[in-house]
Amino acid sequence: MIAIDTALALQAPQLMTTPPLLTMAGVSRRYGDVVALQDVSATVYPGEVLGIVGESGSGKSTLLRMMNLEDTPDAGDYRLALPDLSGNLFDLDRFARRMLCATRIGIVYQNPHLGLLMKHTSSGNVAERLLIAGERSFATLRGRAREALGASEFPLERMDARPIELSGGMQQRVQLAKAIALEPALLLLDEPTTGLDVSVQALVLDTLKRLQRDRAITMVIVSHDLGVIRTMADRVMVMRRGRVVEQGLADQIFQDPQHEYTQQLVHAKL
Amino acid sequence: MAYVATRGGARAIDQSERLYRAELGPIDAARVDEIRRALPMLIDRVMGEASLYEPDLAALALAQSGGDIYEAVLLLRAWRTTQPRLTIAEPVLQDQLFTHRRISAAFKDITGGQILGPSLDYAHRLLATDVLQGQPYVPAPVEPAATPAPARQPSLAAWQKVQGLVADPARADVAPGDIPDLTREPLLFPAQRAHTLQSLARADTGGMLALGYAAMRGYGNAHPTVNELRLAEAEVRVCHPRGTVFSAGRVKVSQAEVTAKGKSGLLELGFCATLGWNEVKVISGATLDLNAPGAAKGSPVEEEFVLYHTEPVEASGFCIHFKLPHYVTFQSSLDALRGAKQTTAPHQPEKVPA
Amino acid sequence: MTIAALTKPWQALSYGFLDASAKRELRRKMLKAIAVPGCQMPYASREVPMARGWGTGGLQVTLTLLRPSSVVKVIDQGADDSVNAASIRSFLSKVSGATETWDTTAATILQSRHRIPEERLRADQVLVLQVPNPEPLRPVEPNMSIARQMHADADYGRLWLILYEQIVRSGRVMQGAAYPSLVNGRHVMTPSPIPRWDVPKLHMAQHLTFLSAGREKRLYAVPPFTRVEPLVFSDIPYQVEDHAALTCHRSGLRGYFMNEIPQDDGSAQFELSDSHLGIKAIRQAEGSAVEIGPTWYENGKMPQ
Repeated sequence: MIAIDTALALQAPQLMTTPPLLTMAGVSRRYGDVVALQDVSATVYPGEVLGIVGESGSGKSTLLRMMNLEDTPDAGDYRLALPDLSGNLFDLDRFARRMLCATRIGIVYQNPHLGLLMKHTSSGNVAERLLIAGERSFATLRGRAREALGASEFPLERMDARPIELSGGMQQRVQLAKAIALEPALLLLDEPTTGLDVSVQALVLDTLKRLQRDRAITMVIVSHDLGVIRTMADRVMVMRRGRVVEQGLADQIFQDPQHEYTQQLVHAKL
Repeated sequence: MAYVATRGGARAIDQSERLYRAELGPIDAARVDEIRRALPMLIDRVMGEASLYEPDLAALALAQSGGDIYEAVLLLRAWRTTQPRLTIAEPVLQDQLFTHRRISAAFKDITGGQILGPSLDYAHRLLATDVLQGQPYVPAPVEPAATPAPARQPSLAAWQKVQGLVADPARADVAPGDIPDLTREPLLFPAQRAHTLQSLARADTGGMLALGYAAMRGYGNAHPTVNELRLAEAEVRVCHPRGTVFSAGRVKVSQAEVTAKGKSGLLELGFCATLGWNEVKVISGATLDLNAPGAAKGSPVEEEFVLYHTEPVEASGFCIHFKLPHYVTFQSSLDALRGAKQTTAPHQPEKVPA
Repeated sequence: MTIAALTKPWQALSYGFLDASAKRELRRKMLKAIAVPGCQMPYASREVPMARGWGTGGLQVTLTLLRPSSVVKVIDQGADDSVNAASIRSFLSKVSGATETWDTTAATILQSRHRIPEERLRADQVLVLQVPNPEPLRPVEPNMSIARQMHADADYGRLWLILYEQIVRSGRVMQGAAYPSLVNGRHVMTPSPIPRWDVPKLHMAQHLTFLSAGREKRLYAVPPFTRVEPLVFSDIPYQVEDHAALTCHRSGLRGYFMNEIPQDDGSAQFELSDSHLGIKAIRQAEGSAVEIGPTWYENGKMPQ
C-alpha cells in the first residue's frame, strides 16, 4: 500500500502552480496577558515540507496545535483543500474536529506520552487510529498496523510490545506509524527528535526523509533546532514572540537571512 | 411449588437473619436509651453519615445492627428516604453558632479566644481497668471558669478577609429552596458546591480519614493548617406557614476550616461541616476540600475520586455484594479461558523479546 | 373544612416504598432512557432497605413500574430461589401487593441479576436488569466525567482496542460476561453481566428492557425492536459460551445456558441455569399440564 510517486518526488517543487493544501490567515491567540500568536498566516503546498523555527515561547508549537485543531484562536481562518471539506475549520464542532484530526491529520509530539497510549501495545496504538476511522476487520487492522510500523522502520518483532517498554527513538517511530496509518493529508511534527541521542535523531530524521520522498506527504515540522529544519524543510517560517518575522525557501533563509533575528539564529547555529 | 422446600432460598435467608438477631437478643426502649446516653460520639458519627439528626433513631439503628456502623447508617438512610421534606431551614452563619469548642492552630490567640471545650486531646489514654474490678469510674467534676466564654464567636476567616489575607470566592446567592439537594438529584462532575459539601457531610468517617491522611502525608498539593475547628450547636430555624420564623430545636454540628497558601499568593480555605461532633471527619474533609481544586483526574484528592469513594452506603454495599453468587459471570469467563487454551489461535501473538 | 379533610391519612410507607417525588424522577429518567436507547441517564437513586450493590437500581425501577395487578418474577443467576432473589421478590410483593411468580411466561415484570430467561419475552413484559457497573468504558477510562464525554463523542476506539489486544494476546476475544454492545447504532452499553449467550436476546426484542445501577446512579434502556450489536470484528464472529451441546442432568434439556457443577471424581455435571425452565421440563416429563413457552434458542442455536 506504499504509494511511491517517484515522478512527484523527483520533480523540483513547483510551489506556485498548484493551489495550497493548507491556508491559515490572521490567526491570533492570547492566553491571559500573554500573546501566543499575533496575526499569523501560513500556506503549505501539497507534498511540501514547511519548517517552523523559533526559540521557545515564539508560538511555533501553539501554531502547530492550532493546525491540529487542539485549540481555537481568538481570531483567524484555517482551511484545508480536501474533498468534502469547506469553510473555516475553526468553526467545526467538537465531533467533526475529532474525526478530521483522527482521519486526515497525523501528529507526532515531542513527548510520546501525549501521542501514545502507553499501556496498550504498539500495534494497538496504530490500530486505534484505524478503529476510530471505522475499520472493523481484524486482519486488515493487523496488516495495516504492520505496514505502517514497517514504513516507520520500527522492528516488527516488537510490534506488540508496549511503548513504555521501548526506547525514546522507538516510541517516536510508533507515533509516526500511528500518524501515517491512515495516509493523512497533513503530517504535523512537533520537535519530533528533540531529546533523542544525536545518532538516534539522525536515524529518525532519515526515516522521515524517506517517508517524505516515498509518499510525498505534506508536512509541517516545528523545531528550535536549525539543523533539523535544514535537513527536512523546503520552506521555512521564522517565528518570534507570536509573529512570523521572515519566511522563504529554506536555502534563501539559511544563505541569506534578511531579518535581524533570523541572522542571529543562523549565525548562532553556524 | 414443590421445589421450594428442596432448594430452600427463602427459608435459608429467614433462618440466617434469625441467627444474627438471636445473638443480639430482645431490643427494648431501655437498651436504646442506654446506647444513646453511653455512646454519644458514636451516635454523632452515625447521624452525620446518615445525614439524619435523630439520636433516638440512631441509637435504635445501632441496637438493631448490633453496632455495625455501616448497617446502622443504611437503616437510617433507608428510613430517611421514606420521609417527606417538610421545609428547608434557614441558613446558619458561623458567628450565630452556640459554640462549645473553638480552636485555631494558625494563631496563638484569636479574637473571641481559643475555647478548648470538651476534648480528650490532652488526656492520657489509660484504660480504667479498675472498673472491671468493681471500682466504678467517676469523672471529676468540672470547675467553671471565672468568666464564662461568650456563647457566640466570630469566624476567623471573616477577620482574615478584612485583612486581605484570604481568597474570597464569589458568593452565589441561592434561595434556600433552590439549594441543590444531593439526595434528590444525581451527583455529577464538576460537582456543584452544595453537592460537594453535602457529600463531605455524609461521607464515611474512616474513608475520609484514609484519603485525608494520604493528602496530609504528601499525596495532596497543599499542607493544611487548621484555621478554625468548631464544635457547636446550631438552631434549626424554620418558617411557619403563617410566616413566623421559629427554632424547631438545636442540632450538634462540627466544622473545620483548614488553610494553605494558594497559587494566588492568598490563603485558600478548605471547609467541611457535618451533623454531630466528629473532629477527625471534618479536619480530613476540609483537607480534601482544600486539595481538590486543580487536582489531576484519578489522584486520591481529586473531587470525583474522593466523593465517589467515601460514600459509606455505596462503598460498604458494593464491598459486601461480592458475597453474592457470581457463578454465571464466572462460567462465562471460564468458557473464554478454555476456548483460548484449546483453540489453535488464528492469530498467534508475535514473540516479544524479554 | 378542616386541614385533616384536605390531607390523606398518615401512612408509615408510601405505596411501593418510594415516595411520589422519587417515582416521578425515575419515570422521567426512564422515559428519557427509552428516548435515547443505550444512553446512561443519571438519577438520584434513593437509599432503599437493601445494601447498595444488591440490586437497588433494579429495585427502584421495578418499584416505580409495579402496581397491584403486576405479576413479578425475580431471578439471580437464573434461579428464582437464590437467596437474594427471594429477598427482593418478597420485598416487592410486600410493598406493592403484586403477585409473585417463578414462571417467565406468567410474569409482567421480571427483575434479574446476570441472566435473561430462556423463554422468549413478549411485548407485554418488561425486563429489569440489575447493573453493578453501567460504564462500558470503565476499563479504559475510570473517570466518569471523561467517560461521559467519550460517549458524547462516540469515542469508542479504545474499547475496540481492548478487543484487538485480547485477540493479539490470546487468539480470541476474552470478554466473558457483560459484553459491550452498540445500541441503535449509537451508544455502547454494557448489557449488565449477563453471559454472551444472552446478549442476542436483546437484539430486536419484542420486550422493553431497563438496566439500572443504583450504586452508580445510572439507568438506561433498550426499547422494543432496537438493534443491540455486540462489538465484534467483521472477520471474527461473535462467540457465545460453548453450551449448545450440554445436557442438564436434572431435566434432560439440552441447548441452553448451563451451570457447571464440579463432581468428586474430577468430572463435571451440568444443570440448567434457568432453574424454572428446568422445573417445568421435569413436571412436564412427570405428566403435569405445564406450558413451556417458546425459547429464544432452538436446538442450541439463536435463529437469525
